[in-house]
Amino acid sequence: MSLFSLMAVSIYWDLPVLLIVVSLVYSATRYDKWNMILYEAARWGFRMAVFLGAIALVLFLLSSYL
Amino acid sequence: MLDRDAVMTAGVLWTMTSTSNPQPPRKLDALAALLSFLVPGMGQIYQGRVGKGILFLLSLYTLFFYGMWMGQWSNVYLPDSSVANNYVFRFKPLGDVENRVQFAGQFWIGIAAWPAVIQYAASDPNQPNKELPILKSYQKAPSETRLNELQRNGDKRWDLGWVYTVIAGVLNILVIYDALAGPVHRDVPGKSDEKKEAVAS
Repeated sequence: MSLFSLMAVSIYWDLPVLLIVVSLVYSATRYDKWNMILYEAARWGFRMAVFLGAIALVLFLLSSYL
Repeated sequence: MLDRDAVMTAGVLWTMTSTSNPQPPRKLDALAALLSFLVPGMGQIYQGRVGKGILFLLSLYTLFFYGMWMGQWSNVYLPDSSVANNYVFRFKPLGDVENRVQFAGQFWIGIAAWPAVIQYAASDPNQPNKELPILKSYQKAPSETRLNELQRNGDKRWDLGWVYTVIAGVLNILVIYDALAGPVHRDVPGKSDEKKEAVAS
């Protein structure tokens, strides 16, 4: 599977919705101040994106070269 | 390398200072918690935290209905199934929840999942195609044929969709707790999160 066909699989385009909502809601349950909510949401969103991206990369490499 | 004794001393000092000025206990707001269970964020709006309430409402309903849309509006339901051979609950309705455990998560979104409960209560094994007047087949348990069709012929979005709806429901438990007891980190001027706030602003 090429990288382009991988990106064409629709379920990958659904993930940003999940990332944004989960990080925003989780952060908003931890803080009341907006600057803290947005700061924490950005941090959690970044962490989750890196984590999911790493898993996607490993799966892509496994399916391409093994 | 860090000096272990210094770390221990710092830990003890932190504990002493944090317990010597304890914060007053939180007042629990059961009504706000109930409102947030019914509609995500409604409890926060009732408490005057309007912006945060609207954030919860929009975020969780977006996730929940986006998940339903991904599942072709057929992944939030409670089936009227046989519970005789269940492992844990061999009685209704918990036996049916065991057979569709996703609903135990979806339920916490509140009113948005109540049509599934109404459909379950109105289900009649002798009339599987019967539709309710207003709800029609909304959140009604799909037939075996329809389920097979959705899972076999789709692109896994039906499954991903129910995951989204479950996450929305489970996140609302955090929102209910926020309405009940406030956020995890309380604002103590000049004490907590000074550094983070400086970075954030």
